[in-house]
Amino acid sequence: MRIEEEDMATVKFLCDVERCIDCGGCVVACKEGHHVPVGVNRRRVITLKQGEPGEKSISVSCMHCADAPCIAVCPVDAIYQRTDGIVLVSKKTCIGCGYCFMACPFGAPQFPAGNVFGARGAMDKCTFCAGGPEENFSAEEKKLYGQNRIAEGKVPLCSGMCATKALLAGDADVVADVYRERVFKRGSGVNAWGWSRAYQK
Amino acid sequence: MQKSLRPVLLLIFFLVVGLATFVFAQEARLLSMLPEGSSSDYYHTLIGIITGEWQGYGQLFTTLQGQWFWKAFLIIITAVPGIFLLHYLIVGAKHFDHDGDQVFFFPRYTRVVHFFAAVSFSLLALTGLMMVLGAYLGGGALIRFARYVHIGAAMVFVLPAVLMLLMWFKDMLPQLHDISWMFMLGGYLSKEKKPVPAGKYNAGQKMYFWLATVGGVVMAYTGYIIWGMGTTNLDTVILYTIIHNVLGMVTLAFYFTHVYMVAFAIAGALDSMKTGYKCKEEVDILHSRYKY
Repeated sequence: MRIEEEDMATVKFLCDVERCIDCGGCVVACKEGHHVPVGVNRRRVITLKQGEPGEKSISVSCMHCADAPCIAVCPVDAIYQRTDGIVLVSKKTCIGCGYCFMACPFGAPQFPAGNVFGARGAMDKCTFCAGGPEENFSAEEKKLYGQNRIAEGKVPLCSGMCATKALLAGDADVVADVYRERVFKRGSGVNAWGWSRAYQK
Repeated sequence: MQKSLRPVLLLIFFLVVGLATFVFAQEARLLSMLPEGSSSDYYHTLIGIITGEWQGYGQLFTTLQGQWFWKAFLIIITAVPGIFLLHYLIVGAKHFDHDGDQVFFFPRYTRVVHFFAAVSFSLLALTGLMMVLGAYLGGGALIRFARYVHIGAAMVFVLPAVLMLLMWFKDMLPQLHDISWMFMLGGYLSKEKKPVPAGKYNAGQKMYFWLATVGGVVMAYTGYIIWGMGTTNLDTVILYTIIHNVLGMVTLAFYFTHVYMVAFAIAGALDSMKTGYKCKEEVDILHSRYKY
């Protein structure tokens, strides 16, 4: 099934913390698939309570917020939102001021080193594998933003690669349905099967 | 026809209310089922690790930068010159006898330092404004270039700023008569040539001096942190960005005032910074307490 921008509702990422095992597959897939430069991480896995009961890992990247703070603060209007909710940046417009990084609650915007007085280069972040403002599948788009899998009708690399299917990506309604079904079957948080159930903690 | 519609409408009303009640009840049940350690709890902890307490400075910064800063700058660059234009048209410039006696006011060293400060500061103001209003200029290479000029000019400005602080420190200390100067707005509201209470520098110049030097140091330090970010705590960077913007607004307003005074309000005032001489009549009126 080919996903068109028009007939798609809103896209979302959802990381199921009961399933994420901190394998780093999403990070590697993203970095390798888009040839992201060293020092720039479009996605990362963060582990909370490491080594303690209740340890959980979450894979985070740009959340493609509905009301994105980065768009609000950008002084040159380099960041924009597609009708399907994907938030993209125009690297040719970006001046590397870093305001989006200050406004983002998820630390998503990344900055490669620029060349003048140690200035930040143009902002780089997760594109939901939807490329950028350049023409679809153009060499320019690939060079600046990486693959455009959404235009190919595929899910983002990270969630496609996820071994435990913890990282869900796609139409918000479908993602929510999948997650809701899981929660009803196995519970979530302290009610989920795991340490708490096993040891009554 | 209305009568036949009524039961249908009533039925729809009951259906909607019933459905809404059901949905609310379901949602409440679902929410009460959400235990501690739910995904939203994890996200809260997570955000704390990544960006600190975002609800604090992050939300504040988003509101300020998104809605207020550019508007405030826009108001400053239109309202301040607008007020001066009205002043120029209604009150007009002050003219003094430039052919009479001259008073040596600014030694060469002072003028050279002031020249470097003036050029670099003007560049800072211009490129800063270009960045704030970058969306109107299309962003991209032009605004990126403005950023590089901004930091270059900042590095140049630091030296004359420190030298100005040293050479004018004593003259610029506030005195009691500055209060009366401020109450009469330096006598600029009339063309009457009545001696104004001011020493070598008037209260307006003093305010601008402290803003440009001490404020300049604050701008330089906060700007340096904003430029580099690096290992600085993000909350601090956000706070510094807010300070940099607000102080920038105030300084910009004073910069416009300074430029208007020398270029328009007092005819021939710019010459004193080129030659070092002010005409005696001007000093007697505008700097009446200055002993030359």
